Amino acid sequence: MTREIRYAEARALQGHRAGFASRVVADAVDLGVAWLLGLSALLGGGVVKYLLTGPPFSLPVLPNWLDAVAGAAIAVTYLGLSWGGTGRSVGKQVAGLRLVDRAGGRLSLWRSFARATLYVLFPVGLLWILASRRNASIQDLVIGSVVVYDWAYHPAEGRVDQDRSVPN
Amino acid sequence: MQSSERTLVPLASVPAAPTTAPDGPTELARLLAAAALGVALETQRRSTNATVAVVTRIRTPLGLLVRPALALTRGSVAVARHHLALDAWAARGLAGQRRAQEAAARALQTLIATLAATVLEVIDMDEVVARVDLERIVARIDPNQIAARIDLDAIIDRIDVDAIAARIDLDAIASRLDLDAIVASVDIDAILARVDLPGLTEQVIDEVDLGEIIRESSSTMASETVDALRVQGMRVDGLVSRVVDRILLREEPRQTGPLDREPPP
Repeated sequence: MTREIRYAEARALQGHRAGFASRVVADAVDLGVAWLLGLSALLGGGVVKYLLTGPPFSLPVLPNWLDAVAGAAIAVTYLGLSWGGTGRSVGKQVAGLRLVDRAGGRLSLWRSFARATLYVLFPVGLLWILASRRNASIQDLVIGSVVVYDWAYHPAEGRVDQDRSVPN
Repeated sequence: MQSSERTLVPLASVPAAPTTAPDGPTELARLLAAAALGVALETQRRSTNATVAVVTRIRTPLGLLVRPALALTRGSVAVARHHLALDAWAARGLAGQRRAQEAAARALQTLIATLAATVLEVIDMDEVVARVDLERIVARIDPNQIAARIDLDAIIDRIDVDAIAARIDLDAIASRLDLDAIVASVDIDAILARVDLPGLTEQVIDEVDLGEIIRESSSTMASETVDALRVQGMRVDGLVSRVVDRILLREEPRQTGPLDREPPP
């Protein structure tokens, strides 16, 4: 799917490194998506339990450690798969961002999962964007990843054309 | 001839041949008068014919006799003209004749004017007009023939419609219109009752691909909303970066350009 970007300033910034606000918005949306995925998993578990044991219907109550581990696992899986697959999670799609490596190519799957794990364990690392001259978070510095503005609706195959003002 | 015709008109009713005996002395007198006139007319015709015949017979010998006489007369006239100053006399005569003609013309004009004035005084024009049978005149007029002789195109060409329109005060006309009364007189229910609204609606819906329009508009709205959100994010990104850089007393801008153009770390 292709369409022209109507905003001239947005066309000029395509391929540039994204700033703090856009990435916080994207991560907030991703947090919401991860929460919904966790809730869906709980609902699924409740439905299975209802089918197996009968009424009353209730959500399963997990121990705190399992709750935290399961939530983290869901978040890491979601982020790792989406970043490794298309370079953009739902949050990055909404904010018009794409995750690439330093050369502009698609991030490998294991680096995506490593980055997702680092974000789940140390989300405060995002704040380094404010101080970084290249808008890089601590996770970006560790993994060697870059988040760029990319509104185009195309799969992250190969390199992203950095000089493109109107995406194809 | 006029008088003779008038005289003969009453006689026309008299039988052409007196086969029946006259009724009285009056009829007998009229019969005798008519017979005398008939005899006189026939005599005149026959005498004219005889004269014509005689003249025709003697024309040639008469010409032979007349020619020398004419030549002699012409020579005598020429001599008299020379010796008696006939030209001068003729000029005086012509001048006198001309004066007499002019005087007669003036007198005639005066007479006609006087006559006309007198006639107009005597005649009551109202009475004359009253005696005119206008209905009969109008009945004899053929409007189609008159219309056929009128060149409407030429008349229309001479009419300045713009000038006429400029002289019309439309505001005054409009102010005199009672629009409320006109609207009140319109039976909208009757009009609507005659309109096939369901059929019309179906036709419109058939013509318009409503689904496609809704799909396109909703898709466009959604994408435009997302784009606006993204642009706002970009602007806030730039603002946050500038604020932080100012706090950190950085003077050089951030290296956020396209990856290809960055200097090696």
